[in-house]
Amino acid sequence: MRDRSELTSDMLRGKNIHLTAQDMEQASQPYFDWAQDAEYQRLVEDGPPVPLSLKGARESNEQGWPEDDPCNVMFLVRANEDDRIIGFVNLDYISWQHGDSYMGIGIGDKSCWGKGYGREAMDLLLRYTFTELNLHRLSLTVYEYNERAIRMYEKCGFKNEGVSRDYHYREGRRWNLVSMGILRDEWLEMNGYSVP
Amino acid sequence: MKNDEPGSDLLRGKLVRLSAVSPEDLSKLIVGWIQNSEYWRLIANGPSFPLSQEGLRKFMEKHLEKDDLRSCFFVIRTLDGDRDIGEIELGGISYARGESYVGIGIGEPEYQGRGYGTDAMNIILHFAFTELNLYRVSLTVFEYNPRAVRAYEKCGFKVEGRAREFFQREGRRWDLIHMGILREEWQAQNA
Repeated sequence: MRDRSELTSDMLRGKNIHLTAQDMEQASQPYFDWAQDAEYQRLVEDGPPVPLSLKGARESNEQGWPEDDPCNVMFLVRANEDDRIIGFVNLDYISWQHGDSYMGIGIGDKSCWGKGYGREAMDLLLRYTFTELNLHRLSLTVYEYNERAIRMYEKCGFKNEGVSRDYHYREGRRWNLVSMGILRDEWLEMNGYSVP
Repeated sequence: MKNDEPGSDLLRGKLVRLSAVSPEDLSKLIVGWIQNSEYWRLIANGPSFPLSQEGLRKFMEKHLEKDDLRSCFFVIRTLDGDRDIGEIELGGISYARGESYVGIGIGEPEYQGRGYGTDAMNIILHFAFTELNLYRVSLTVFEYNPRAVRAYEKCGFKVEGRAREFFQREGRRWDLIHMGILREEWQAQNA
């Protein structure tokens, strides 16, 4: 039985919470915070967890959430101890048609070099690429003189697939550009997944 | 190709010459060429589908708007009959590095496999190495396009690597082949 009180009280207000119109000025910060939490995102969204910028969070009200199949994904790398930003890792030129993407990584905070932080970020990105986005292959290019990076990529499972000879001109000489790639099955196998 | 005097026509070969792009005319031609998905699937890895001429024309106008010579885009025109048969582009030019990518397509089927593309490639390499003074030209080609690989090798490109299983078409995965040519190599071959 409906009674008058149901029509003269606020339907959207409960004992502990109430519902209001969207207010992106106020909501963008918490949206931004939640979007950084992949556990939360995988519980509520069927698309892969994609980091949402503060600006993106603000605009998401008008434009909807980031497109389902973005062609690039950018992550900040933050130190757990104090949450400070120490670098980035990203996927670029994702081809959903062919299941391929390029990646990039940079640890800009030199105090974090040589501590395995980059490797850790790589491992997270590879897992994201192969078990969440389900891509078939990941590519990267690296300068010949960045031997430390090449060793790290090899440890992650990337293989040298060729060099563009004399690609660069720096410090008075030419340098090769090294192309590397890793296939999903290679990564799954070296990380203890069962490969179909 | 002996047009090696600064006073001679750099952009003229034995069979074709490279001429300026008119977005209106070229977009009309390309819309026709890509009706044949074979052409599309040999030059592009995006999904093959018919583009509208209007959209393509606008895209080209925007692409050609910048006058910074980061890209040099030409129509391939036959010397005999002045027929526009294809497109060729040096793209992503880096003057600091002295490097660029090249892309080429012969859209008119009756001119494929008859040396017209090779002639256009020779002209653009001459242009890249002696006019832009680049040091290196790169390209990528699909594993299932051996005719192109042979033509590029004839022009002096070397296979430098393969991105394994780079893309998926017709139910299987294919490699992307990386090729490159250095100025010295080109000069030695054309001495």
